[in-house]
Amino acid sequence: MKKPLAAFAALAISTAVFAQDAYQAPLVEQSLLLDITAGEQVVIVGERGHILLSSDGETFAQANVPTTATLTAVTLIDNHIWAAGHDATIIHSADGGQTWNLQFEAPDKQRPFLDITFFNKQHGVAVGAYGMFYRTQDGGKKWQSEQHVSLLDPYDREYLEEVRAEDEAFYQQELNSILPHINRVTLVDDRLYLAGEAGTLAYSNDMGHTWQRFEVDYTGSFFDIKPLDASTLLAVGLRGNIFVMRDDQQWEYVKTCSTSTLNSIYLENDDTVYALGNNGMVVSLSRPLPVSQHDPYANPANCEPAEGVSARQVANKAAIVNAEGFQGKVIAVTANGIESLNLQ
Amino acid sequence: MSSITHFLERLIFANRIIVIALFAIVTLFLGYQSSQIRLDAGFEKNIPLNHEYMQTYMAHRKDFGGANSVYVSVCDKSGNIFNPVFFDTLKNVHDQLFFINGVDRSLVVSLFSPSTRFTEIVEGGFAGGPVIPADFDSKNPAALDKVAANIEKANIVGRQVASDYSCAMVTAQLLELNPETGEPLDTLALAEQLENKLRGQFENDRISIHVIGFAKMIGDVADGAKDVVFFFAIALAITAIMVYFFSRSVMLTVLPLTCSFIAVVWQMGLLSLLGFGIDPMSILVPFLVFAIGVSHGVQMINAVEKKAIGGAGAKHAAMFAFKSLLIPGGIALLSDTVGFMTLLVIDIGIIRELAITASIGVAVIILTNLILLPVLMSYLKLDHKYVAKFEGKEAHSLRFWQFVSRCSDKKPAYTILAITALLLVFGLYQSQQMKIGDLHAGAPALHESSRYNQDTFLITDKYEVTVDYLSVLVETTGDACTSYDVMRSIDDFQWKMENVPGVQSAASLASIAKVVNAGYNEGNVKWEVLPRNQQTLVQAIARVPTSSGLLNGDCSVMPVILFMEDHKAETITRVVDAVKAYRKQYETDDLKFSLASGPVGVMAATNEAVKNAQIPMMAYVFGAVILLCLLSFRSLRATLSVVLPLYVVSVLAQALMTFLEIGLTVSTLPVIALGVGIGVDYGIYILSTMSYRLKHGDSVQQAYLTALQERGSAVLFTGITLAVGVSTWVFSSLKFQMDMGILLTFMFLVNMLGAIIVLPALARVLWFKRNED
Repeated sequence: MKKPLAAFAALAISTAVFAQDAYQAPLVEQSLLLDITAGEQVVIVGERGHILLSSDGETFAQANVPTTATLTAVTLIDNHIWAAGHDATIIHSADGGQTWNLQFEAPDKQRPFLDITFFNKQHGVAVGAYGMFYRTQDGGKKWQSEQHVSLLDPYDREYLEEVRAEDEAFYQQELNSILPHINRVTLVDDRLYLAGEAGTLAYSNDMGHTWQRFEVDYTGSFFDIKPLDASTLLAVGLRGNIFVMRDDQQWEYVKTCSTSTLNSIYLENDDTVYALGNNGMVVSLSRPLPVSQHDPYANPANCEPAEGVSARQVANKAAIVNAEGFQGKVIAVTANGIESLNLQ
Repeated sequence: MSSITHFLERLIFANRIIVIALFAIVTLFLGYQSSQIRLDAGFEKNIPLNHEYMQTYMAHRKDFGGANSVYVSVCDKSGNIFNPVFFDTLKNVHDQLFFINGVDRSLVVSLFSPSTRFTEIVEGGFAGGPVIPADFDSKNPAALDKVAANIEKANIVGRQVASDYSCAMVTAQLLELNPETGEPLDTLALAEQLENKLRGQFENDRISIHVIGFAKMIGDVADGAKDVVFFFAIALAITAIMVYFFSRSVMLTVLPLTCSFIAVVWQMGLLSLLGFGIDPMSILVPFLVFAIGVSHGVQMINAVEKKAIGGAGAKHAAMFAFKSLLIPGGIALLSDTVGFMTLLVIDIGIIRELAITASIGVAVIILTNLILLPVLMSYLKLDHKYVAKFEGKEAHSLRFWQFVSRCSDKKPAYTILAITALLLVFGLYQSQQMKIGDLHAGAPALHESSRYNQDTFLITDKYEVTVDYLSVLVETTGDACTSYDVMRSIDDFQWKMENVPGVQSAASLASIAKVVNAGYNEGNVKWEVLPRNQQTLVQAIARVPTSSGLLNGDCSVMPVILFMEDHKAETITRVVDAVKAYRKQYETDDLKFSLASGPVGVMAATNEAVKNAQIPMMAYVFGAVILLCLLSFRSLRATLSVVLPLYVVSVLAQALMTFLEIGLTVSTLPVIALGVGIGVDYGIYILSTMSYRLKHGDSVQQAYLTALQERGSAVLFTGITLAVGVSTWVFSSLKFQMDMGILLTFMFLVNMLGAIIVLPALARVLWFKRNED
């Protein structure tokens, strides 16, 4: 009697482990992959808890992780790697991706994290849908929620204040649904940049505790923001829209004539910058960026891109989500998996 | 038993005129009936309807169509579809297909169907519309540009439009019943309409039309099957020449051929009377019946001649032949019949039809060739000149038979048995490697170079989809698609299946819902997940219509469609096994992953049915043969001598199938049963003389030599006649007829050799006390 019971217990444990662990899939390199980062090694994350590690950028090994949630973002500092994603999942590895532990998870929130970044090994933020914003000061042992009303435009803030004056509970409810999706946080030289839903662009000089909104004449979503140099800031987003800001002046429009949503900015060198997007779109922009007067909502019929701007599609036309340079190669993560990008 | 024969002999030969008159009347009647017979093909006949997978298939066929689809690829020979001529043609093809009777009009899909829509993400939501707008004018280049842009947005390149934009597809599902008459759909008539109304009307020097699907395939098979008349003529001519060389008499040539032909007429008439048609897949059966008839006719000629040499008149010779052949001939034909009847155990309509067709045909031969033929022959005038001619031949062949009879001498016998044993071991080893199912791409019934298969290759080449797909039907409760857990199980199951080698890609409501969810989130692929929020999930699913074939009305059934790299049996087995292994992790009381639908689902069921039928079929056919031999010879040794060589040959036939890459399919499965059923004839004829002689105290060698002198030439001749008759099928335009031709030729020839080489050697060992040395 004892033996079958033990066997049953073992089976129960093994299926429990199985249910949590990511399935080691032969086709993992062709699955939906959503973020990439590189240090000593390349780390890629994607659907179903897929994490791929590579030290040469060519052969990838799938890590065994304690989640099957779709992971949307990854960041690393030395041997520490954090990955975040759906079900508000955050997992962490302290040994370069060999072993992983679950730091945070909240499926009931029904909200995904969309980006994660760390200022140092202790202090980091994870951001996501409906302004979801979590901070840790202890390397991820504890994650605490914050709400940044300063990301909202003045009209929305005014409205919220009115609501708050009448009903605090309703205010919280409204706040939970009115805050924009935060699609990206980019840390460059102690300044944190943020791109989000409905024309949200912002920066923070105090590690994201307070935010200053950029005013841009566009209400579509932005998916990436990145400074190209000390005086130039680039933002890309929905339907192929690209805006550039120089010397803290106005955001200006860059005409590409492509309507594919752009997901990420890839900085190749001082001469050229690339914007990567859906339908396998690779938009190449020569610097300095040419700007033009153009209605960003218009359809590009008979459109001529600005000089120095060209858009092309990669052969398989799969959405390119992000890319990273590694050992002389440009490795992209796409809806069809890993792809080596030839940008020339 | 001999008293019955004696009684029958007197009864028949005393009333020869009445017998002939009766036969004439029946032949007239059945001849009229057989002129009413028509080609008849149906999809369901070809599948094992009672197989577990097919039960699932039948249960959900209404919601998801089935495996019976038609794909029409319209191609522009310039390589670019964006021109007025092409779009006008495509519209005409769509409309024409829509109006062909038997097409399910709600499921005709092409660029021109209203369900073909595009959506794009714009600020604040979706924009979309039909790919081809209502005001589309093919003459307007701007309209063509707009359609080109919509096609890309609709994400249908590779499915409805060829990846290189040189073709576009019109697909349709076929009904099982004719909606006008309520009768089963006449697949062949439909195939003809596809050929005439689509290809005939619209193919020209600019446009090519490529049609595939079961209905078209069977139509092409039926066209190819019509060649059978030509092969029949050739076989008839060759047989006539050979019978003439054997009998040296025009009348003795004409009579057995006529009687065999009458058997075919009777068989067709009876089939028509019973309400059967002739299926293109079993059109070879009348052929076989004719050949078997001739072979028994030859035995009859042989016996008559032998008696005539002894000085008997034609009537006496015929009576003697009747008397001496009724039992062995009857037993042989009965075992043929039983051999064919064993095919009834296989639960596939078309094989059962073959079993009925063939057993009727062979049973009829008992009447035409064992009764009518000797009666007709009794009217012949066998003059002295003829008898003398025949005597010379006899003397000449005696030396040959003496040589052959050494097979039963000690040393040759052991050598023969040793070689046979080696062959058996080799054959058993090889036959283990025999593959089940279709081994090659395209339709296995047709040659690779056939138009149909060329069209298949073109379509699989130009489009990303494949016609080789298998659907796993997820059966659950109503509205289950709004449950995150159910959808998550489907999605995880699908991902595991996508990772199985042989699966090219997969689709299900879950995978589409993820894409739609990303669409609702501005096309951001980071949102390509199943939403946990039920309203959000409902919102995603609401955009997927039931016409997508991914859900039924209340989404209690959702298929996971697995597109396969090919339909080789081992690929199918691997995928089916993976389904069975993985589904265990996800199934609950309310969630079942049931096999199977789709063309590959049908193949999986058929392969399993064929595989499972093989051993019982062999057991039954050999069981029947053993029983009949035991009954007629009342000797275990005689039975062994007949059955063992047969067994070796059937194993070798399987080895040959491995060697020639012929898979065990619905069309090749019956061949071994047919081969054994017919092959046993030789042994029975030889041994019936031998066992009589042995009972009268002869040695094995003496008994065998007598048997050879009496029956040897007829056996040799029969084997060659049958083999020649079926070997013409090698030139058939139908691949399966070619395969059957090769296998039957092999079985007929080698069984004949088995009966005159291995049988005496076995007898030598089994009756070891009855030897000269």
